Amino acid sequence: MLASVFPTLVFYLLAAISLSLAWSVVTGRRILRAAVSLMGVLAASAGLYLLLDSPFLAGVQVLVYVGGIVVLLVFAVMLTRTTELLEDHPTRGRQLIGAVVALTFFGLSYCMMTAPAFADRALSALPKNDVAAIGRALLDTGENGYALPFEVVSLLLLAAMIGGIVIARKPAALSKPEVHNG
Amino acid sequence: MSWQVKTMAERTGDLLPGSPWTAVLYVLLTILAVTAFVTLCGLVLIYAERKVSAHFQCRLGPMRVGWHGLLQTIADTIKLLLKEDIVPRDADALLHILAPVLSFAGMLLVMIALPMSPSIQVADMNIGVLYVTAVSGLGVLGILLGGWSSNNKWSLLGAMRAGAQIISYEVSATLALLVVVLFAGTLQLSGIVQSQETGWWIWRAHGCGIVAFSIFMIAGTAEINRTPFDLAEGESELTAGFHTEYSGLRFSFFFLSEFLNMFVLAAMASTLFLGGWMPLHVGHFTVFNGIMDLLPPGLWFTLKTSAVIFLIMWFRWTFPRLRVDQLMRLEWKILLPIGFVNLFVSAACVVTGFYFFAG
Repeated sequence: MLASVFPTLVFYLLAAISLSLAWSVVTGRRILRAAVSLMGVLAASAGLYLLLDSPFLAGVQVLVYVGGIVVLLVFAVMLTRTTELLEDHPTRGRQLIGAVVALTFFGLSYCMMTAPAFADRALSALPKNDVAAIGRALLDTGENGYALPFEVVSLLLLAAMIGGIVIARKPAALSKPEVHNG
Repeated sequence: MSWQVKTMAERTGDLLPGSPWTAVLYVLLTILAVTAFVTLCGLVLIYAERKVSAHFQCRLGPMRVGWHGLLQTIADTIKLLLKEDIVPRDADALLHILAPVLSFAGMLLVMIALPMSPSIQVADMNIGVLYVTAVSGLGVLGILLGGWSSNNKWSLLGAMRAGAQIISYEVSATLALLVVVLFAGTLQLSGIVQSQETGWWIWRAHGCGIVAFSIFMIAGTAEINRTPFDLAEGESELTAGFHTEYSGLRFSFFFLSEFLNMFVLAAMASTLFLGGWMPLHVGHFTVFNGIMDLLPPGLWFTLKTSAVIFLIMWFRWTFPRLRVDQLMRLEWKILLPIGFVNLFVSAACVVTGFYFFAG
């Protein structure tokens, strides 16, 4: 009995943690606290993955989101002045746009998950839960392989990286020769 | 000779069907043991650092409290714990309190996965190496938040430097880790140790192993913010960097996690490249291997880890601190390309079976 109740209990605990932290991410007025709450949400979803018996996914979740995305977010917040980020009363237009985006996202994900094709596809294409199997599936060009999505995502990341470099490059560096001191 | 790996987590699982309360007791004892180990290890490391630094500078170091100053660290700890605990008035108090805890948690969670001997390891995860890299990312978050929430320009600058440095060097360290993962063919830490039964990866993977070890040591030293990479707390320019505003217990959390991160780095380096608890074996020379097996695995782990810790301390008291631009150039223009090439070469070696005692 204990063995069956325990995962359910853990699930509800994790769900409650992520929901309350997600609420504080959205409603919190201090941006850095919101970032810390976001970290909590992402860590809780790593816990959910563990509960679903996919430790590799949980590890990647912590590595990429907690160790990467949140750290970069905090870093970016620290580079800007805190007063600029305090927005107590968003304008009506922004509220409207936010609501529309949220509703569209909810509707889309609901349609996706209830579509029968999605459920079949998700189950059949699921690689065995083992790092080697996931690696093979990622580079497999066959029926259930993920080589194309993998490459598309890589291309997207590359484009983002080049964009970042172009934005960050000082325009003066193009015309002026580089000065070496010492 | 085959090694039976039995972790604390497995033993708890064995106890569970019989009597749940014994299992709970065992878990509590394990937690107590880990805490005691962390405290003791911290005390020893701080004493060793003071003595090593002293002898590098032709001094004696602490000599007065106890025999050769052995009780000096304990006296300092008591002093630290009795200090007033200050939170700056305009600081974000919650984050100020949370930051050292995060930093400490990052270190402690890694400690769980370290294989210290076949019988001393808290949990042996299938994704061991991934877990260690993932969880140690919490430490940098603690440093960033600590610097930001102190509401102090020096702290903020120190935290920014630490953040940039750790994010950059994490890439090289991971590339070096991947080399060993390629050769061992597993992410499990005990599996990696057992894959070194015919020799340690640092020399069995010939050139690749040595290059990966060097990159891992350089990047690792940068990740734990030690000299020559201690720009985050450069006392001559930033007073003490991100922990300037911390005092008492919270400061000791930062301090302790910094020292234990050194232990974690050394333990990881010895596990991945120097065989961990595996005795020094050479191929199938049974007589030689048998003699080496006389020393228990736990002692091998301790010896290797201590040697690597001494190496890290040696770095600290030998090299001057880098400038920020030198730091970034070293990572992005030198270490990273070498790391990538090394990874490709080792992949080729693994595919062709071109390494010592393959198969």
